Amino acid sequence: MRKLLLILFALCGACSKGPQADLPSIGEARTLGAEWALINEQAAEQKLTASYVATMRSSIRQQLQTTARSLTQPNSPYGAEIQALLQQPDDAPPQQLRGHVTRLKQIEDSLESA
Amino acid sequence: MNPLELTLGIMTAVGGFVDISELVFAAKAGSTFGYALIWVFALSTGGIMVFGEMSGRVAAVAKQPVFNLMRHRLGLKLGLVTLAASLVANLITCAAEVGGVALILRYLTGLPYPLMAVVGTAVLMASMWVLPFKWIERIYGLLGLFMIAFIAALVAIKAPWGQIAGGFVPQIPHGLSTKELLVFGYFAVAIVSAVMFPYEAYFYSSGGIEEEWGPKDLPMNKITCTVGFGLGSLLSIAILASSAQLFTPANVDPQLLGSSALEVAIPFGWIGLLIALLGMLFAISGAAIETCMANAYGISQFFGWEWGRHRKPWQAPRFTVTWIVLFLAALGIILTGVDPMQLVEYAVLFSILVLPLTYLPLLLLAGDKSYMKEHANGRFGKTLGWFYFALITVAAIGALPLYFLTSGGQG
Repeated sequence: MRKLLLILFALCGACSKGPQADLPSIGEARTLGAEWALINEQAAEQKLTASYVATMRSSIRQQLQTTARSLTQPNSPYGAEIQALLQQPDDAPPQQLRGHVTRLKQIEDSLESA
Repeated sequence: MNPLELTLGIMTAVGGFVDISELVFAAKAGSTFGYALIWVFALSTGGIMVFGEMSGRVAAVAKQPVFNLMRHRLGLKLGLVTLAASLVANLITCAAEVGGVALILRYLTGLPYPLMAVVGTAVLMASMWVLPFKWIERIYGLLGLFMIAFIAALVAIKAPWGQIAGGFVPQIPHGLSTKELLVFGYFAVAIVSAVMFPYEAYFYSSGGIEEEWGPKDLPMNKITCTVGFGLGSLLSIAILASSAQLFTPANVDPQLLGSSALEVAIPFGWIGLLIALLGMLFAISGAAIETCMANAYGISQFFGWEWGRHRKPWQAPRFTVTWIVLFLAALGIILTGVDPMQLVEYAVLFSILVLPLTYLPLLLLAGDKSYMKEHANGRFGKTLGWFYFALITVAAIGALPLYFLTSGGQG
């Protein structure tokens, strides 16, 4: 019975709005930022080809824009953090990108434990 | 049994094992749950070995392709439902593979994605038109062996072999929340579906008939399915393990197809990157052709048309028109701008729903002594077959709820 209630609760959560409903998008933006940092790090070490780097960066930016648009609360701290990530230039230093990733992770963790 | 033919058969099965869904889900599974889902890959590989072997055996002995069986065993109405569901599942899978080919061509050249989709599809269609069946299978399968770079990369990054071996033991990680448990379940179902895609059985059994297999080919069928698929599965497991080793510490949960290639680029640099991308390109191209042909085989066999690539294209005109239309439909889906990674999710979801209907008639016929005589399933084969049938049925029942509860594995 408890499991059934949990599943029903999760189902309701999937249809709701607000920070809890935005959790998957926050996670997606966080991992996209981490992927971007990893690519820039490897590119700086000359381990990747130019066309690969350009395509990956463009896909990440495009996906981040989609994620930002899908937020039910764009004017939230996490919405601002995703926008800040989007403001970064393509070849932003990995540490800078990881700073945004860390902040998104903190927000994600605090929302998950709420 | 010709040793050269056998070696080529095994190598083709290895190189042709991985497709876009396995690439995506192996990388995601590794970054999200470490090595804890390796056993699901191993378990489902056992399933595709069992049903692959059965479909090859039925093709060799009863000379019956899977869709003929469906119509006879399930009846016209249920057969038509299965045909329609398979058609949708395979078309979505084919579109995802075409999108994957276009993405990889874009990573290699930097040229626009829609252009690469058109060029990639044209090359695939030309190779299907020109090459006989055996060479289509071999060229893409053998060139897919570039994927071995993923195993080399795993060795180069000094993987924790003990932990990887531990992943082969069935397990659910301790301390998962309800939400994480549901995501784990979703990944498990998606991996079962990706490894046991129904198109593989349609393609494999139709291929057996194309190549005029007979009972003398049964040992080769058995060895190709067990050794070839087994070694092919190691490629997926290597992608998963490298992802756990490299992506988890970097907080990366791969969202893009190209991320997997980083697993080889990190230890081997840009040469490794190119080899990985080429391996992915040929493996996914092979899968695009297989899904398209599987659909064309299915429709032609169901309606009793002339079919096969052992005939010239104009000798089986309805079959030829069918695969051309299906390839163009897959290209059309991609040109609408839909994300291939999203298509992968849908392909996996639709395919798991079709799996029980695909494998049930095969299981019944492979055990039917009036058709198969001394080559019918023995007790061991029957037990394995029914075990895997139960497994895919449970996975099919759980697939939709898990997809919605986890927002497609996002949590």
